[in-house]
This record gives sequence, C-alpha cells and structure tokens, in this order.
Amino acid sequence: MTIIAPQNFADLTDAMMKIVADNTPVTIAAGGTKQGLGKPVKTDNHLDVSALAGVMDYEPEELIITTHAATPLVEIEALLAKHNQMLAFEPPHLDRLYGTANTGTIGGALMANLSGPRRLSQGAARDFLLGFEGVSGRGTAFRSGSKVVKNVTGYDLSKLLCGSFGTLAVIDEMTLKTLPAPETSLSLIVANPDLEQAAAAARAALKTAYEPSATAILPQGAHQMSQSAALAVIRFEGVAVSVNDRFEKTQKELAPFGHTDKLEMAASETLWRDIADVALLPEGRQIWRISLAPSQGPILLQDIAQQMDVDAYFDWAGGLLWLSSDRHDAHQIIRQALAHNGGGHATLMRGSDELREAVDVFEPLAKPLAALNKRIQDAFDPHGLLNPGRL
Amino acid sequence: MQMPKADETTIARRAQIADALRQLVPSDCVIDSESSMKAYDSDGLSAYRQMPLVVVLPETTEQVAKVMKWCRDEGVKIVPRGAGTSLSGGALPLADGVLLGLGKFNKILDIDYENRAVVTQPGVTNLGITHAVEDEGFYYAPDPSSQIACSIGGNIAENSGGVHCLKYGLTTNNVLGVEIVTIDGEVLRIGGKHLDSGHLDILGLMTGSEGLLGVVTEVTVRILKKPATQRAMLVGFDSAQEAGQAVSNVIAAGIIPAGMEMMDAPAINAAEDFVNAGYPRDAAALLIVELDGPEVEVDFLVECVGDIVKSSGATSLRMSQSEEERNQFWAGRKSAFPAVGRISPDYLCMDGTIPRKALPEMLTRMASMSQKYGLRVANVFHAGDGNLHPLILFDANVEGELALAEEFGNDILRNCVELGGVLTGEHGVGVEKRDLMDEMFTQEDLKQQQRVKCAFDPQHLLNPGKVFPVLHRCAELGRMHVHKGDEPHPDLPRF
Repeated sequence: MTIIAPQNFADLTDAMMKIVADNTPVTIAAGGTKQGLGKPVKTDNHLDVSALAGVMDYEPEELIITTHAATPLVEIEALLAKHNQMLAFEPPHLDRLYGTANTGTIGGALMANLSGPRRLSQGAARDFLLGFEGVSGRGTAFRSGSKVVKNVTGYDLSKLLCGSFGTLAVIDEMTLKTLPAPETSLSLIVANPDLEQAAAAARAALKTAYEPSATAILPQGAHQMSQSAALAVIRFEGVAVSVNDRFEKTQKELAPFGHTDKLEMAASETLWRDIADVALLPEGRQIWRISLAPSQGPILLQDIAQQMDVDAYFDWAGGLLWLSSDRHDAHQIIRQALAHNGGGHATLMRGSDELREAVDVFEPLAKPLAALNKRIQDAFDPHGLLNPGRL
Repeated sequence: MQMPKADETTIARRAQIADALRQLVPSDCVIDSESSMKAYDSDGLSAYRQMPLVVVLPETTEQVAKVMKWCRDEGVKIVPRGAGTSLSGGALPLADGVLLGLGKFNKILDIDYENRAVVTQPGVTNLGITHAVEDEGFYYAPDPSSQIACSIGGNIAENSGGVHCLKYGLTTNNVLGVEIVTIDGEVLRIGGKHLDSGHLDILGLMTGSEGLLGVVTEVTVRILKKPATQRAMLVGFDSAQEAGQAVSNVIAAGIIPAGMEMMDAPAINAAEDFVNAGYPRDAAALLIVELDGPEVEVDFLVECVGDIVKSSGATSLRMSQSEEERNQFWAGRKSAFPAVGRISPDYLCMDGTIPRKALPEMLTRMASMSQKYGLRVANVFHAGDGNLHPLILFDANVEGELALAEEFGNDILRNCVELGGVLTGEHGVGVEKRDLMDEMFTQEDLKQQQRVKCAFDPQHLLNPGKVFPVLHRCAELGRMHVHKGDEPHPDLPRF
C-alpha cells in the first residue's frame, strides 16, 4: 500500500495530477473515522489528507468560518463555543458508533452530510457549506460558492459535494455558516405507553408556534428513562425567559398526550448527545438509519418489528428511524417495509465489511436517477479514481 | 449583451415545429401568433425583449416530457418559464427556442400538516402556498418581494430569497423534494416528505440552476407554523457606517432577527414621498429590524436590540406597538422600488452581496462611482446578510444612458467581488450578470460547472445563453488536461 500525504493545497494539486496521470485509484481519508460508512473501498493507494488542517479565518460577526477540511470537528466546535456560536446542524459524534479514537474532521462530517437532532429546525450539514476549494478527479483545482452567507452565483456545487463521500473532489478550503449558540436549553418529556400517542405528541409540538429545536421519540425500553412508557422528547433552546415560557405553554398543550415532565439542561444535553450519536442502540449489531415522512415512522417500525427483533428510536419527530438488528436479511425486510409505507431512504450505517459489500448501503435509486448520479460523478471524476465504489 | 446566434434553419421551421408540438399537447396549448406571444417576450428584466420561436403551455408532466424529448431529438432549444418575474433575464426567450411555460401547473396537490409539507405544481405562486395553509396558522417562509406573482417553480430555478431569509433561509433550505423532467424526457423524482435523501444532492443542485438542468414539474416544500408575534423597529443613524456597525453588533450579541433591512438617504426620502411611512428624513441611514417568535422572547429581544442600536449611535428609535404600525414600518421598504420609479424614468436594480464589514467601503466606492457615471443611486440592503440592492437611476430615452447605467451596475458588482463578495445574492445570474462570471470564477471553475451541465444536457438545449459567458462544447470539456493551465479555444462562441 502506498500512502500519498500532501502537506498543503499545492502539494494536493500536484499529487492529484500524478494520480490522474498514473490512473491510480485512491482511498481518501484524514482521520479515517468514517471508513465504516459506505461501501468498502479497496485501493492500493491511500491519499492521506490529514495535514490539510487548521482554521484559516473565523469572523463571528459575519457568521462564517473558513477552515482546511481536515481540521478536527471538535476543534471547530470548541472554537465556535468560545464565541458563543455553533455548527447549527449539530453534527453527530460517531466515535462511539464506529469505535474510533476520535470524532473525525469537519470535512468528513460535511462529505457524509451528517446532521443531528437540530436538522429538524435549522437544516442539514449541506445547508451550511457556503463554498469550497478542491481538486477534482481530473486533477484540476477549482472553487465554488463564496465566503458570504447569501449567494446564488452559479450552480450550488457545495450541495453536491456534501454527501458525496469524496467521490467528486478532494476538498481543502471550506467556508461554513455559523450561528449563535443558544444561551440555555431544556426538554419536555411526554410519556404514553402507546408509541403512536408519544409520536403524535412529538408531531403536535411542531404544529405549535413554540419552536422546539428538536423532537425525538423513544419507544418503551429504548432508554432507561422509557422503561414504562414510550416518550416524546421535545427540546427548547434560546434565551432563558423564552425557553421557560415555551416549555410551559407546550407542556399545557401536550398534556392530553400523556404524562409530562421536565428535563433540565445538563440531563437534557446528555440525552440529546446520546440521541445524536446513536448511543441508544446496542453494540455489535448492524445499524440502519431510515429517513421517511415523520408520520410514517411509527407505522414502519411496527411493520418491521413484526418481522424481526429490533432495537429502535426516532429523531426528527419520527422522520428519522435508528434501528439495529442482527439479521442478515434485515436490508430486505427494512426496504420492503419502507416501500410499503410511503418510501424514504434507508442507509446501512454500521455493518461488517462483508455485509456492506453484499448489500446496498444506500437506498437503491431508480435507473434513470442512478444514471444521472453516475454522469454527474463522471463530470468530476471521469476515471473513477476517488473513493471508487464508496457510494 | 449578446445572445447566442440564432439558428436560421430552426427559425425557418417555425410553423412545422408548432404543428409538431400540437401533436404532443392539446392544440390550444401551443401559441404561435405574433400578438399572443408578445406577452412572453420578456421577464422581470424588461430592458431585454425577444419574441420566442413558439410558446407551449403543457398541462401534464407527461406532456412536458414529450415536448422535451421531441425538442432534444430535433435539436430545438427550450427556455423554461414560470411566472416570468426573474430580475436577471432567466426566462428571456430565444428567437430559435421554444418557450415552455408552466403556467397551467397551477394546482396544490397535497397539504399535509402532520408532516408539515405541501406538494404543489410549480406554477402555483409563492404566496399561493401560504394562502392555502394560513387558515391552520402555517406559512411558507421564503418571501421574495414578487411573492404575489412569482411561481414556486421559478423560486426553485432561482433559489429565491426575501427579507426573512436571514432567519429562515433561501428556497434551497425550505424545499424537500422535486419532480423534474430532463431534456431526454425522463421524469425523475428526488426527495419527498422526508429529509436528506442520500446519494448526490441533485435537489440542492437543481435549486438555483436557473432552468439549465431540467424542468421542475412538482415541488414539495416544508411549511412552518406562523410565529406567534412579530415586531419591527425603525432606527435612524447619522451615517451608514454606524448603521452597519449596529447590524454587526446585533449579530455579535447572538441575535438573528427575522429581517434586518437598511436604506440610505435617497431611498428613505423616495419612500417617504411615496407612502409616508413615518421614516426620519434627516437620517443618513435607516434600519428596519424585525423580530418574530414567541411573544415573551420577542419582547425580550426588542429591548436587547434597542439597547444595542442606542449604544451603536442611533439617532432615532421607534418600536412598533401594533400590527398596523409594523406594517406601516414595512410599507416604505416594500415600496422602495416603485418609489424610486417615481423619481426617475427608469432604474436598474442590482443584487450583489458583500461581507457585511465591507459595507462602509462599498458605500464610499458607490458614491464615487455615482459621480463618475453622473447617475444617481438609491440603496436598499438586506443588511443582515450583506445583500445589496443599489437602484441606479437613469432615463432610457436619453441616448446611451441605459448602457451607462449598465456599466455602472457592472462596476458595482466588480467591486462586490473585489471586496470578497459575489455577483448575485438572490436574483440569479441569468443574462444580466452572465458576462461578469469570470470576475468571480476562473475558467476552470466555470468549466467544472459546465461539466455538470453536460451531465444533464450535453447539447446545451436548455436555456442556453444564460449563466455562462462561454458555451464550451461538452466533448471539449470532457477531454482531460495534459498540461497545467488553460488552453485557449479561440473557436468557441463567446457572447
């Protein structure tokens, strides 16, 4: 195995030109913390971009941060926190899920388009990448987007890059939009033995003007707090006076859905960290992430649970189902049930290399759409040199 | 501004093309009479006019697919059009192109409060979506100023913004799914009522692609519960510098208002003459700050913002005490364009974005440019996100003044880029800023964007002449570079 390790952007451009000239497929990684996500990539050559790290420019008043892609995610989060700001898409820390030494890089989080509970109210990772500079699989450097928060000049290639898992270009510089961090937060709990009632409470919270920042649903037994009933967990963030007011009003409004309770800031933060980081599911089993219409969530789970033994919980008001199983045919059961219940997108988030090689890690696309995805990939990487086969 | 050379052979086939289209759609959906096509000869950028080859107004996705495929097979260009309100000429017809209007796609298909989603046809207006859900207390957040007329399909093509996008995002942040028809006549469905579909984000790519990649035939948007309360503040300053600093101070304090708008003295006075909104005429700059959300929060934040603007040098401060007063505060800002239209026979509305900190420098430069070109300029800004709308005043009946105003506008946009900003914050590139694209991007940047175009439309049949200053043949773009740097292609059409 050959490791190519560019030290700066000029190096990266040179390295990429050589990779293209030699027609050498490469596996791209910095921290390598997400190698367990996506189809396994098998190349003799590795492009180690971990040296492309460091924050380049951070202007809190402009709500932007420009950074090299391999800057550790936690380093960015700590820097923003110092200025009472945040990455509003609440990137999950998947070190517990994948058993890695750290939580990876900002570039990795963006290229996998990983968003946490606040996705529901503030948007996904892809909504926060304003611009970037990288080198395509043609070996040419290019830029897209900008360093201002409002821009529609040219195609929004930032969106394409997010979630491309490094199959279009190797990114170095990236500019992200930041937002003020909330002063405080707490959560409302609504307990009901009936999962659908708890889920209805979570959805009802979003039909109020009380602006919850996140809503999860924990089926009975999914968490130590939900031993005797299913729970809707509804988070409020902002200035204290508002958070308390919204909590109380929502509590009143949701009282018909079940027994209500309050989770103060520290406990609430711990619970939401666990929800974001998929820490509620048992170790060792395969883990699926299913995105679907929120009202279909509980119905889908019921359908699947009738066919196999699962552990599960919901984020995004029921629109994101996290599920674990040890069945080798889980993918068939899940995807068939999903197709019967309004459709959506099921991703195998964790599974052995063998399993990920054998099954579709991402939801299979209709043929014309798959062909278009391929043509777009070819537009960036015509020889399939970048993370070949990952998607 | 030059459009690609029209293909005389296609123009000569006009009657035959109209007849062929009548085989694909109901015959009254094809318009080819001079007088009826006149209504389509321009969009919101009315300085440019061009009669289309023929207008087709299909009624179903299937008909759109048939038209697209037929045009592809025949090598005929297509210009998609929503409501025709683009301010950058995105829907400007081509003499040798079929104008594909989506006006008959005017139905809302599904309102789903449980999933906070509306599925609609693309010809429904932006405000039409809000009207359909407001009885239940919901609304669709992006609010371009043309929202009474502009279509949601057009909003997707342009990635439209509005005064509230500081807090609620642009179109791209509020769309969940689309159905598109490609130039090959294929119908693709992307996204839906769920979030984040995985694979390449074609939904994100389509949004803001200005009709160059496909035709949108169905849209799923996210709707939100209306904020419990809204309050606006009018704040006067002695200088734009102080007003700009006040905006930064508000954001630095961790407050993201629903909207933060700035007007300069000429804009303030034009608006005041027009609607009498109660603006301070002696102020050099006026801020309108709107806060929305739960009542307790808004009351709290109004006080915070009040303190911040006072300590930033505000010379006057009024807070709306009623919904009526809030609307009055906005009346001046919302009528700024027609107000300026009253004091000048014509005006050009520009749309650049700069880093907010560069605002004082930009205003200084604009004043000296105004002198240089001998044309007045009034400024309204979406100050919260640095999006400028300078209105250049001119008289089209004076020989050469349109060209002068355009050059002034180009100069402003070049300065936006020089100060770290962009050519367009929300109006799109279209034909208006097309020839400025290489101020912001290198040839390689633009080639990479065009390679994406080639993945959808290798013959450049969809809306050619928009966005890109040079049309590279896709075969040319597909070739790998052997040498570093750009090879000149003197044979390429540049327009």
